[in-house]
Amino acid sequence: MNEQNTDAIQPVNPGTFTVPEDDTPPELLGGYCRTCRSLYYPPPRYCPSCLEEVESCTVGGRGTLHSFTVVRTKPPLGLPQPYCVGYVDLDGSGLRVFGLLDPERVEDLVLGARVHLTVRSMGHDGRGEARLRPCFTPDEAGEGS
Amino acid sequence: MGKVGIIGVGQSAFVRGYPGSIRELAFEGFKDAMRDAGAKTEDIGASVICSAPEYDKQRSPAGVFAEYMGLTPQPTFYVETLCSSSSTGLKPAYSLIESGLHDSVAVIGFQKMSEISSAESQERMGRGADIQWESPFGTMMPAYYAMYARNHMATYGTTPEDLALIRLKSSTYGQINDKAVYRKAVTAEMFTDPESPMSGPVASPLRVGDCCANADGSSCIIVAGEEKARAMSDKPVWILGLGAASTSVNLAGRDVFNGLTVGIEAGRQAYEMAGVTPKEIDVAEVHDCFTIAEMMAYENLGFAKPGEGRDLIRGKETYKEGSIPVNVDGGLLSKGHPIGATGGSQIRTIVLQLRGEAGDMQVKNPEIGLVHNIGGVGLYGNVTILGR
Ligand SMILES: [Zn+2]
Repeated sequence: MNEQNTDAIQPVNPGTFTVPEDDTPPELLGGYCRTCRSLYYPPPRYCPSCLEEVESCTVGGRGTLHSFTVVRTKPPLGLPQPYCVGYVDLDGSGLRVFGLLDPERVEDLVLGARVHLTVRSMGHDGRGEARLRPCFTPDEAGEGS
Repeated sequence: MGKVGIIGVGQSAFVRGYPGSIRELAFEGFKDAMRDAGAKTEDIGASVICSAPEYDKQRSPAGVFAEYMGLTPQPTFYVETLCSSSSTGLKPAYSLIESGLHDSVAVIGFQKMSEISSAESQERMGRGADIQWESPFGTMMPAYYAMYARNHMATYGTTPEDLALIRLKSSTYGQINDKAVYRKAVTAEMFTDPESPMSGPVASPLRVGDCCANADGSSCIIVAGEEKARAMSDKPVWILGLGAASTSVNLAGRDVFNGLTVGIEAGRQAYEMAGVTPKEIDVAEVHDCFTIAEMMAYENLGFAKPGEGRDLIRGKETYKEGSIPVNVDGGLLSKGHPIGATGGSQIRTIVLQLRGEAGDMQVKNPEIGLVHNIGGVGLYGNVTILGR
């Protein structure tokens, strides 16, 4: 899965997830408001409560699957058919984030499943250019925290 | 402040592939409502034009329509909240009248969804999601509602068969509504028969039969101040309550996952303004773009407790003869869902019901009706309460 050379491929939504060059697990990047200590994902430029700039921070890459669906209609943006999307409640930050789920692990998707983030080349940018996308995949038995 | 009444309602037939232009399509609903009100164009003080612009090739349609409908030189403007655009249009109409700026306003909703292909239309509806953060993940409307369905099932034990029952009800009335786009019967067997298109998977757990029919259509509601309404109409229907709410475009920011917070909040406002409780509603139109959406609306509007919506449909309580008839015109599922025209069509149905003019779909002697219209996946919500 991660063997493909992803060096040249640009991330979709840059600045919303890390693209590690080593074995470090990828994480989502959110926003943190120093004034009111709110965490945001996706990151806004300003905190709507304080009207102050937020700073980029990691909000985690592990969590629990809150809901999901397997979409079997024709996928947009060169995504696989079927593709899966869902909501993940992130450990630690407690944020509920929306994202792609591993289309090769459809049968392992259940509510409450433990998932972790991967970053892979999936689909394109709307003009045919490949893009890196964050994608949650179910933990293997015995894997993870 | 006096009351504000609805004195004319109209809609086009909801069809696949309307052959004319959008102004001709919109004129069909307008003509129907003007005849219903017995109004002339000089009776209309202003017009509010409503649609979801991602389907329109025409930009700024309000001026084009006002000219075509003879509503010049009166003011006209455009309102948009995706699938709830025309019930949203009712709110400025009400305000223009209550403020004394105008004594009557026409609210005209339309959508020619066949201006673009069906696949493109799904993709464009996905753009009603957050194009910056969500669209890159291939989001589309059925996927969002599918996730609500999955959690409703997991939390309350609602089943795919319960959702199919909602579609069976819709088709019962779609068959007798000559404005409906889908007029065929639907049976429970079709949902499990692999040969039937109804059983086709869309976004698990939703199947084709759980999804509403796309259509082209238009609607028109003519609203007037109390004095003018009484002068022009024998049977004005009064606007008793108007509720409207918004929420984060990104579902990730929402706390409640077994219902649409905008429906709950808009309902609360409308009940409070009207001074009525859910028990007093005699007939309702709710936003059933998907079967799960109607199920959640039962609960969000207080017709059933959370998780007990399925008991209403299992007991046929939302049929015409039941305790709370819902979508007895076929709903979006069978009547069709031409985005910008939908809210006005729902209002028309309730007005006809309250006047006792709903024909074969007539509920017995209703006095108070409710319209629940949602834009996007719970991005916008309007609840309107009407009374005789
Ligand atoms: Zn802040």
